[in-house]
Amino acid sequence: MPLYICNSKRGAVDAAAKEKIARDITDIHCEVTGAPEIFVHVVFFEESAQFPLGESTLAVRGTIRKGRSSEQKERIAGAVKESLMQHGRVAPEHTHAEIRETPASWVLEGGEIMPEPGEEAAWFAAQEERRRAAGLQ
Amino acid sequence: MVSCMCVIQEGQTPDRRREALATALDGYVQERLGASPSVSWVPVAEGNGFTAGKPSTSSVLVLTAEEPLTQQHRESVLRELVALWTSETGCSVDEIVAVVADPASH
Repeated sequence: MPLYICNSKRGAVDAAAKEKIARDITDIHCEVTGAPEIFVHVVFFEESAQFPLGESTLAVRGTIRKGRSSEQKERIAGAVKESLMQHGRVAPEHTHAEIRETPASWVLEGGEIMPEPGEEAAWFAAQEERRRAAGLQ
Repeated sequence: MVSCMCVIQEGQTPDRRREALATALDGYVQERLGASPSVSWVPVAEGNGFTAGKPSTSSVLVLTAEEPLTQQHRESVLRELVALWTSETGCSVDEIVAVVADPASH
């Protein structure tokens, strides 16, 4: 978590653009929230029924931990939309980016319940220690 | 009915394993949440999944309960689901994100 789900019309976004958008979303999320990038997941679908496009050509739904400020969520959505327009070469009126929230206590990642926003330090330290002990860092 | 969406990286979980996983999920959810799961598989095509901006091997399991859960119940379900998933697929705990949500109206 976070999980950013991108859905587009078939063939609207090529592989190179997907890589750039994924990189941008990762950087945007980390810059705005301070989260480490290892937890940022971005997936792309084409005309997925599970994530309706509506009138958009390219849309992103980001699900992040609950507790971020409105300003943070607006910054993320705005910057993600800019990335979609730049790399997907899609007009503003055909792109959409939205942020949804899930309580951290509902999510388990890295084998542990996610911490609340602002309470990450001890959780990340424990994760790093576990990963180091497992030879993953 | 308990909704259970499994976002997986295509090719990472062979069909045979997926069937075994679905069977295990079905039994587990019925036992622990008292309802049958409606399991939907959402495969991410190769080259379409990224973690930390790089090709991803992560799966995301999102389960929505029929009734709100206590946090104690939720945590035990999350841990057991991840144990079941890693056992059936051979992935590590770093490759599975699990969410157990309350129904939308709560």
